[in-house]
Amino acid sequence: MKRVVVDPVTRIEGHLRVEVKLDETTGKVEDALSSGTAWRGLELIMNDRDPRDAWAFIQRICGVCTTAHALSSLRAVEDALQIEIPRNANYIRNIMAASQSVQDHVIHFYHLHALDWVSPVSALKADPAATAALQNTILETYKLPFAGPVEFDTNAYPKEFPKSTTVYFKAMQDKIKKIVESGQLGIFAAQWWDHPDYDILPPEVHLMAVAHYLEMLDKQRDIVTSHVVFGGKNPHPHYVVGGMSCSISMNDMNAPVNTERLAVVDRSINTTIDLVNYFYVPDILAIGQLYVQKGYIDGGGLAKERVIGFGDYPEDTFSGTTNGSFHKNLLLRSNGIVENFSKGVEAATFYEFKPEDLSDPDVLNEGVEHSWYKYPDAEGKDLHPWDGVTKANYTGPKEGTKTNWKTLDEEGKYSWLKTPKWRGKMAEVGPLARYIIVYTKMKKGLLPEPTWVEKMIVDQIEAVSKVLNLKPEVWMTTMVGRTAVRGLEAQVHAYIGKYFFDKLVKNIKSGDTAVANMTKWDPSTWPKECKGVGLYEAPRGALSHWVVIKNGKISNYQAVVPTTWNACPRDGKAGHGAYEMAMMDTKVKIADKPLEILKVVRSFDPCMACATH
Amino acid sequence: MKRESMWEVYLRKGMNRRSFIKSCVALTSILGLSTDMLSTVVAAAEKNALPVVIWLHGHECTGCDESFLRSETPLTSDVVLNMISLEYSHALSASAGEPFEAHLHEIMEQFKGKYILAVEGAVATADNGIYCMTGGRPFVEVVKEVAKNAAAIIEYGSCATWGGIQAAKPNPTGSVSVTDVVGNKPIVKVPGCPPIPEVMTGVIMHYALFGQLPPLDSEGRPKQFFANRIHDTCYRRPFFDAGMFAEKFDDAGSKAGWCLYKLGCRGPETYNSCGNMRWWNGLSYPIQSGHGCIGCSNPNFWDDAPFYNRLPSYEPVGDIDKVGAAVAGLTVAGVAVHAVASVIQKKKHQADGNKPEDKKVD
Amino acid sequence: MSENYRKVYYIFSPFLRIFHWIMVLCIITLFFTGLYITKPISGGVNGEPTFGAMVLSLNMIRNIHFLAAFTLTASFILKIYGFIVNKGDRLFPRVWEKSFWLCMMDVSLHYMLIQPTHKSYLRNSLARMSYVALYLMILVEILTGFAMYLMVNPNGMGAFLFGWINPMVGGEFTVHLIHHYVAWLIVLSAIGHVYMVIRSEFMEGEGEVSSMFSGVKALSHEPVDIGEIIDKKTDTVK
Ligand code: HEM
Ligand code: HEM
Ligand code: NFV
Ligand code: SF4
Ligand code: SF4
Ligand code: F3S
Ligand SMILES: [Mg+2]
Repeated sequence: MKRVVVDPVTRIEGHLRVEVKLDETTGKVEDALSSGTAWRGLELIMNDRDPRDAWAFIQRICGVCTTAHALSSLRAVEDALQIEIPRNANYIRNIMAASQSVQDHVIHFYHLHALDWVSPVSALKADPAATAALQNTILETYKLPFAGPVEFDTNAYPKEFPKSTTVYFKAMQDKIKKIVESGQLGIFAAQWWDHPDYDILPPEVHLMAVAHYLEMLDKQRDIVTSHVVFGGKNPHPHYVVGGMSCSISMNDMNAPVNTERLAVVDRSINTTIDLVNYFYVPDILAIGQLYVQKGYIDGGGLAKERVIGFGDYPEDTFSGTTNGSFHKNLLLRSNGIVENFSKGVEAATFYEFKPEDLSDPDVLNEGVEHSWYKYPDAEGKDLHPWDGVTKANYTGPKEGTKTNWKTLDEEGKYSWLKTPKWRGKMAEVGPLARYIIVYTKMKKGLLPEPTWVEKMIVDQIEAVSKVLNLKPEVWMTTMVGRTAVRGLEAQVHAYIGKYFFDKLVKNIKSGDTAVANMTKWDPSTWPKECKGVGLYEAPRGALSHWVVIKNGKISNYQAVVPTTWNACPRDGKAGHGAYEMAMMDTKVKIADKPLEILKVVRSFDPCMACATH
Repeated sequence: MKRESMWEVYLRKGMNRRSFIKSCVALTSILGLSTDMLSTVVAAAEKNALPVVIWLHGHECTGCDESFLRSETPLTSDVVLNMISLEYSHALSASAGEPFEAHLHEIMEQFKGKYILAVEGAVATADNGIYCMTGGRPFVEVVKEVAKNAAAIIEYGSCATWGGIQAAKPNPTGSVSVTDVVGNKPIVKVPGCPPIPEVMTGVIMHYALFGQLPPLDSEGRPKQFFANRIHDTCYRRPFFDAGMFAEKFDDAGSKAGWCLYKLGCRGPETYNSCGNMRWWNGLSYPIQSGHGCIGCSNPNFWDDAPFYNRLPSYEPVGDIDKVGAAVAGLTVAGVAVHAVASVIQKKKHQADGNKPEDKKVD
Repeated sequence: MSENYRKVYYIFSPFLRIFHWIMVLCIITLFFTGLYITKPISGGVNGEPTFGAMVLSLNMIRNIHFLAAFTLTASFILKIYGFIVNKGDRLFPRVWEKSFWLCMMDVSLHYMLIQPTHKSYLRNSLARMSYVALYLMILVEILTGFAMYLMVNPNGMGAFLFGWINPMVGGEFTVHLIHHYVAWLIVLSAIGHVYMVIRSEFMEGEGEVSSMFSGVKALSHEPVDIGEIIDKKTDTVK
């Protein structure tokens, strides 16, 4: 038995350390530990602040899923103060959220995850002409022809399209060669490029993928242009409690939003659709299929057992979350819990997530058994976020000193993440969870009038199942599945952006230009004491912000974050979290080069700043 | 600053050709290249190198990395592949764990005194720095170690430059700026939460084009990006001067794009390129999108909140103008009372037989 | 001392008097324009930028504020000339002298209505202290004011001279707040000051208010601090 430590885990957000106990002869991971090694105390910094400022502070939890926390926070504060935002604001926020998800997924796949699958060094062996031919085949084979409803189709032809000429791939190869030969590998330095997993793909796939890596490095920005138009910047666009600040007017030359500004957003949405349809989806399916064909269907872990989602994309404005209004009219009803999906959709069980569950202290809560925190008045208990406590209690490692770790203590406390639970149980969140939930609900007849999003999700799953020639429960609950579904979701989100853009235009056309509801702006209109929750399907999964407001000031603020759900430390009763389970569900070939461990952990798109905050 | 090739570094260190070739062999095999590539690797290593950049992450949100990646001019790929050699980055580097840390130390040794250290994030110092651990060690130790032999340090973002969000009250982790822990070094401060993408890459572009750090102001910020206040470069300034303000979000003034001063805009005291360059090559900036600046490139701007008021009212005192007026009223009343009392006292004094102009004498 | 006999003491030079009144006007202007700058009235909700109300335009108000600010600063500097040429202008708080504290006790007891009168002074210790405080507050306003004003050209000499104040106090936003708070402090002190001079005019009849016009005070007792302006041996003005 060997204990393998990877710290820092890179190509993720933040500070993550993993340790695994590995049986070197079988390659089996007997135990795994995931630790968030940094904590900033943002929940404490929220105390005594003006709730109208909350979005800005808490948005800084993360600049990768930038805006996720702002939007969730706005929902929480608006829920507490019972503010209903105008329709346009809902549409605009949805456009921003959708574009954020696509951009986040694209960056994750190409720049954070891809180098686990493809290698620039292998790309050197490719034949450029064969690569050009391969690019053609890939587009023909793997382009999923699904599309959401498009009211105003302004895109004359696909502007973003993969180049598939020999000369292009030769030029790309030459560039890679130059880097390699310079001896200054920069970001490509010191990786285990000799790991056997890099031989799974033919050199031409490596060359194509590395070329796309570079192209996407420069293209991803165009996906989130809407943030700059509506929120003034990206990362970290600006918002306002009660709606948006970007007033719409066709009568004023200086208005934040007018026709020209809408055209900028429209162009960006068109670009997004092209990038996803012609690059992301074909690339991921091509690589995924090759891996699956070679039998790589491990790394599922907790996804097989339990996933949770909250649902998102309110079709129209709603009056609150705690009162159930939010859940009444969602475009993506991924709210609920699915257990045992790996046994097939028939055998899987679905639990509804009801609005009253939000206030029930036994349904959603967080424990700190193995976290570097303590609950002074509730030792050993799990706390509901409205009563949540964030109090640091660092205990150090198992071996080494407090400032120089050898190994962390899986029996004691070992992470700055809390352990979120649903009814005392662990659950995985994320694109995969959302897809499992929607698919299960649909197949079980729980979505009698499915939205176009839900239909598209099911169609995608079935199409991919056909391509891979595997049942959804087999390919989805794997590390490849987790990564592939993220690409599928990007396609859906690209069209969600378009969908809400169309709705925005139509609504403006009908004469409604309101973007902010300022009736409750003045603190004197607020109740002395109130609570709110904001639910949001972030790129990495179900996110919730919980706020308690007293006398116009925040008196408690808690965020329960997707990566907290996934990367959390174990729990005496509930068992392991999703990262630990997934690592334990993964085979490792070479103990000194645990590429598979990194790959499976990265298949979650870790965000540790999010997770610990 | 002339950049040394790997071979020159070896010469300077008095190492011989054999150990140089040995390094090249190691490099070739790490890359999984065949041995006949060795001569090319050796030749390349003898040539002039790109400036080596080590990018460290402390207490941060990676918004600064993300902003860096959004750069259009120069394009991110051009920066990362042709202007610098980014040898260590938690965000982009292929490698992880032990080999990655070993690489860091090799690079630090090989380019001692030559590499540029970019830091994103604040330095957590409370309780010996245990709130931010990386590679099993406190970040504060790592940053000090890497800073020691850096040629220059770039502090990216308000976290690195001033402490940022985690340093806002009550600063549970004792977070401070990089400057606060690394001591005497050439430091370029690039504040903003995050900074504008083209400002981030612009600093590197400047170095690539001119071979030196850009001219800095007294605060250590590049003058070409941080000299002017947003208020003095804001396209809404004519409305400020004319006294035309948005009074509430989404009112007629908001739609007309009038000045956001009365909604708390911090443009009048914020030094950043938002007003002139704007975000994404002139596309917009918070003010253009109807929201006041929150001063995100200013020191400790988080504790200048609430953001929607030019004159923050502090509990339990409230609005200082109302307090001032009330205290002035009380003062006048107090003065009146004192005046009456004085008159009474004087009358009494006279009734005791004293003359009006009589004074106390020794 | 005999009845109705008052000796006239020449204390304040024309410099002090002229600039005192200029400063009074400036400070009143600065205060009200300053408050307006923080909370301006929207001058053109129904107009177009170019046709916006000029009278209440912030540009106009700010320019008035700056005009008054420059005048105030000039007066402040020129007053220093008065200090140099005239001993009477220079009635500093001599905190190192015992008599200063005796005087302080004496007038305090009087103002607290504990003793009916106090001794005669050219300028009593309390007044001396409060004027120093007032000057300091004005100095703070000048420093913070110029720190904000001159940073419009960050490469200029003005920014070099005053700009350091901004980072020193933790940021320019804080400078705005300090400037604003101190403005109120000045006004509160001014209320007290005006009361005190008017009070002594009417209660003590020594021409306190008129001294700021004429430069002389008519006192029925020889002031305790007379030594500061007159050489007692030769009985000549120092
Ligand atoms: C006793 C003297 C003064 C008083 C009572 C006074 C009062 C004020 C007040 C109340 C404000 C509003 C502060 C805020 O909240 O932003 C202000 C702003 C200002 N004052 Fe003064 N001030 C004085 C002297 C000066 C001087 C000497 C200058 C030098 C130029 C100056 C320059 C400014 C500037 C630049 C502003 C900011 C204007 C803006 O934000 O647009 N002030 N003043
Ligand atoms: C009706 C208004 C005022 C009158 C009649 C008045 C009168 C006087 C008189 C008589 C003195 C000399 C006191 C002494 O030493 O015995 C004096 C001094 C002074 N007053 Fe006023 N004052 C007025 C308003 C103000 C205001 C509004 C300010 C500024 C806030 C001010 C600032 C000063 C200062 C700084 C001195 C000290 C003189 C020096 O050393 O330059 N005064 N005033
Ligand atoms: N986990 C997480 Fe986030 C996401 N997606 C937040 O809600 O990444 Ni920074
Ligand atoms: S400065 Fe802002 S964007 Fe950059 S790391 Fe800090 S919080 Fe994130
Ligand atoms: S919007 Fe802000 S920065 Fe622009 S002129 Fe108005 S106050 Fe100044
Ligand atoms: S908030 Fe920041 S992005 Fe610019 S406009 Fe203000 S400095
Ligand atoms: Mg939390």
